[in-house]
Amino acid sequence: MARAAHPGSMSPSKPGRTRTAPPSMPPQFPTSGRYLSYTLFGMTGILYLLAGFVALRVVWALGDGPAAWQGIQQQLANPLYVLFHLLSLVAVVFVGVRFFSLFPKAQPAKIGPAKPPPAPVLTAMLYGAWIGVAGGLALVLAGGIF
Amino acid sequence: MKHLLLKLEPLIWFLFGQGIMIGTMLLTAWVAVVGVGIPLGIVSADALSFERAFSLGSHPIGRLVLLGVVALPLWKGAHHVRHLLLDMGGHDRDALVAPLLYGAATVGSLLAIAAVVRL
Repeated sequence: MARAAHPGSMSPSKPGRTRTAPPSMPPQFPTSGRYLSYTLFGMTGILYLLAGFVALRVVWALGDGPAAWQGIQQQLANPLYVLFHLLSLVAVVFVGVRFFSLFPKAQPAKIGPAKPPPAPVLTAMLYGAWIGVAGGLALVLAGGIF
Repeated sequence: MKHLLLKLEPLIWFLFGQGIMIGTMLLTAWVAVVGVGIPLGIVSADALSFERAFSLGSHPIGRLVLLGVVALPLWKGAHHVRHLLLDMGGHDRDALVAPLLYGAATVGSLLAIAAVVRL
């Protein structure tokens, strides 16, 4: 069995005399045309990162007992936290709509003998899963079920 | 560091992929209820009283969901922010930025495991 190739194995040992031009971004980057939604999509990463750490604080407080839980609930009611979470909600919906629209287009034509379902079916499955998981969890968290 | 990141790329991409798909599904509900609904009074605060929240969170499925809510968005965030910075011309800083971001996601994920284990 061949061993894994070194990541730099295709690089020339010495730079050649003819150099390729350095890559440059198109003039529309980062906020014009289609790049605007691309850049916004990337920027949602900041909100995801922060939302993950806020959620970590909430879960940690739950483990610390009733007083810590009460404290974190009061902190979450701060207008800045509410604004942050509203922005995060917009970002999460934006990511979902964009990613679930891109996902069917990014599928390979075949994986071995298996073909992916048609794009509309795949999109419907993704939205169905999103609505099912998010709706189910929201119902549980809001006391609707369990 | 560059070689290590290239070797870890499949794992990072896996976690990023789960973060963008499952993390988005979970975070939608979490942010809507915990971050917006309850603080604004749209959802009754009793829904997540300590007793009920602890009962839900300490269930094995609850622990798994909470782990997903915390850890998966961290990986989606770290990978997306890294590539946004690369697009903005940060190739020279990537040797510092990438370990910082993935390090933060790793530490956050380990803390998330600890947080759900202690429930």
